[in-house]
Amino acid sequence: MKKIEAIIQPHKLDEVKEALIGIGVQGITVSEVRGHGRQKGHTETYRGAEYTVDLLPKIKLEIFVPDARAEQVIGELATAARSGKIGDGKIFVSSIEDAVRIRNGDRGEGAL
Amino acid sequence: MNAEKHKEQSRRRAFGRALLRGAAGLATSACIIAILLLPCRAQEGPKPDPSGLTTGDKTSVVDAGGNNFVVAEPTDKTAPDYAQKKKDFDEFQAQAAKEPLAVKLADATGHIRLATNFAWTLNTGYLVLFMQAGFALLTCGLVRKKNAGHLMMLNFAAYVFAFLAYYAVGYAFQFGAMAVNSAPGNLGGTPTLNHFLLGSGFWGFLGGKGFFMAGPAYDAGSNVLALFEVVFMETAGYIIVGSICERISFWSFLLCELFIGAILYPVFGCWVWGGGWMSQLGNTMGLGHGYVDFAGSTVVHAVGGFCAMALSVVLGPRLGKYGPDGKPRAFPAHNLVYVVIGTFVLLFGWMGFNPGSTLGATDLRISVVAINTNLAAISGSATAMLFWYWKFGKPDITMACNGMLAGLVAITAPCAFVGPTSAFIIGILAGLVVCLGVLFNDNVTKIDDPCGAISVHGFCGILGGICLGLFADGTYGAGWNGVGATSYLGQAGKGVTGLFYGDSKQFLVQLMGAAICAAWAFGATFIVFKAVNAMKSMRVTKEVELEGLDVPEFGIPGYSEDAMSVSAS
Repeated sequence: MKKIEAIIQPHKLDEVKEALIGIGVQGITVSEVRGHGRQKGHTETYRGAEYTVDLLPKIKLEIFVPDARAEQVIGELATAARSGKIGDGKIFVSSIEDAVRIRNGDRGEGAL
Repeated sequence: MNAEKHKEQSRRRAFGRALLRGAAGLATSACIIAILLLPCRAQEGPKPDPSGLTTGDKTSVVDAGGNNFVVAEPTDKTAPDYAQKKKDFDEFQAQAAKEPLAVKLADATGHIRLATNFAWTLNTGYLVLFMQAGFALLTCGLVRKKNAGHLMMLNFAAYVFAFLAYYAVGYAFQFGAMAVNSAPGNLGGTPTLNHFLLGSGFWGFLGGKGFFMAGPAYDAGSNVLALFEVVFMETAGYIIVGSICERISFWSFLLCELFIGAILYPVFGCWVWGGGWMSQLGNTMGLGHGYVDFAGSTVVHAVGGFCAMALSVVLGPRLGKYGPDGKPRAFPAHNLVYVVIGTFVLLFGWMGFNPGSTLGATDLRISVVAINTNLAAISGSATAMLFWYWKFGKPDITMACNGMLAGLVAITAPCAFVGPTSAFIIGILAGLVVCLGVLFNDNVTKIDDPCGAISVHGFCGILGGICLGLFADGTYGAGWNGVGATSYLGQAGKGVTGLFYGDSKQFLVQLMGAAICAAWAFGATFIVFKAVNAMKSMRVTKEVELEGLDVPEFGIPGYSEDAMSVSAS
C-alpha cells in the first residue's frame, strides 16, 4: 500500500477530486493547511503599509491506494492539479504497513 | 496560577478604585449642580411643558418665507420703522378681532407645525442613533480578530457611559442657555433653557439649566432636542474608539467617555450651537453670521477626531506597529464584510445626521441637504479609490470606505449652505485629505490610528468647517445666528455666504472657529489624560496586548469557537 500526500492550490481541488473519482479512487481525505515553499510568500500593501503574506492557504490531500494503482493516481493527480505557475504544490509518496477498517476489522489492502 | 490570581485581583482592585473615583466625581458634580441650581429656582420665568399640551399655538405659525402669522407689538419707539410696524400690529389686531375663528385655527395649525417638526427631528435622531451600530461594525472589522470582543465592548460602553455624563451635566452645559440667543423655533423655542452658567448675553461660555434633564428641561420641546443632540454627542464619543483601540484598558476608556459626554463635547457645542460666544461673533465683531457649523463637521467630528488624536499620542502606538527601522507595518483588517456594511449603515444614518439638523421638516431645505450629503459621500469615496489605485496599484477597500466617510464628514458643516457642484467638490477634497492624512499619520507623525479616525473625523472635520466659509452660496440661512434678518450684503433674503460668493469675513470666522475647535479638543484632552496616564498607565500590559484584549479584559474571545477549552457540556 502507498500513501499519496499532495499539497495543491485550493482552487484546483474540484478538478483533482473529479479526476480521482474518474479513475475509481475509493476515498480521499482533505485538510485546509497553510505553508510556504521556495518563494516564501509575497508582499501586499494595506492602507499604504507593506505586509508579507508568508503562509499561503493550500489544500492537503491524503489518498491510500494499493501499490499497483499508485503510479496511475499520481499521474492523474499531477495532471489535474497543474496550472504551470509557481505555487502548484508537491506530491509525496510513502509506503504503508497496514490498514484497518474500523467497522468490521478488515486488514491490509482489503480495508482500503 | 498564583501570579495569574494576583493579576486578576489587582485588576479588580484597579477597577474598584476607578469606579470609586468616578462615583466620587459624580457625587461632587451633583453637589456643585445643586448649589448652582438654587438661584435658578428663585427666578420667575417661563414654565416647562412636560405634557406637550401647550407647546405650539398661533405664535408657532410661520409662512414659507419665515414671516410670523402673529404680528408682535413693536416696543422700540425710536426705531425708524416704528410707525410702519405699529400700523401692521394694529391692522393684525383689528383683523384678529373680526375673525376669531381664524385665530383659533392658527392655534391648531401651530400645534401641527411643531408636531411635524417633532416627528421629523425624533425620527432623524433615531437614524443617527443607528450609526452607533455602523461604527461598531466598521471599527470591529478593521482590527485584528483577537480584539473583536474588545472593539464591540468599547462601542457599546461608549453609548452607555457618554450618555450618562451627558444626561447628568452635558446637556445643561451645552443647551442650558439655548433660548438666550438661538431658540429653536421649530421645536417651540425651549424658553425654559435660558441661563448661562459662565458669561451672559452674546458672550456665553457654558449653559446652566437642565441638569439631569429635569426641572426646566422636563419639557416636550426640550426633550426632542435632548434626544437629537445626545446621539450627536455619542458620535463624538465613539469616534475615539477607532484610534485608541487594541491597547487601551477598559477603566481608562470609561473615563474618556465620561470626559467627552460631560465636558469636552458640551463646552464646544455650547459655543457654537447653544447660543454661545462663537455663534454670536457676527453680532459682536461683525464676522459674517458668526461661526457656523450646520450639522457638526467641527462640533461633532473634529472634536471627536482631535480628542482621538490626543489620546492616541498619550497612549503611543500599538506594539509592533513600527518596526525597528521606524517603518509602519500593516495590521490587516480581519473582516472586510463588517467594514463595508458598517460604512453603509453610517451613510444611512447620515441621512438623519444632516437633513435632521434643520430640527424640522417644515424647513424644506432638507431635500437639498440630503442630496448634498450623498454627493459628497460618493465623490469622496471615488477619489479615495482612484487615488489608491493610482498610488499603490490596487484600490484599498478600507480606504474606499474611509473616503466615503471623509466626504460625509466634510459636507456635514456646509451641507445646507452649498449647491450640488460645491458638495461634489468638497467630497473630492475630503477624499484627498483622508488619503494623505492616513499616509501622513503613518509615516510622518507616527500617531497610530488603527481605523483612520483622526484623518476621517479630525482632518476632514476641519476641512468641512473651512469649506463652509468658501462655498456657501447665500441661498439659505438668512438671519442665521441673528445676523441679517432683513438683508445681508445689501440683499434681502441673503443667507450665509462664503468667500467665493463675496463674504470674506465668513471665511475668516470659519478659519478661526475650526482652529479653536482643534485646539480645544486636542488641548483639553491631552492635558487631562496626560495627567491620568501619569498617575496610572492607561494601556493594558504588554502580555495582554500581544494575546489580544478579549479574554484578559472581558473573559471571552470575540468569536468563542476560538477559545481553546470552551466546553458546551
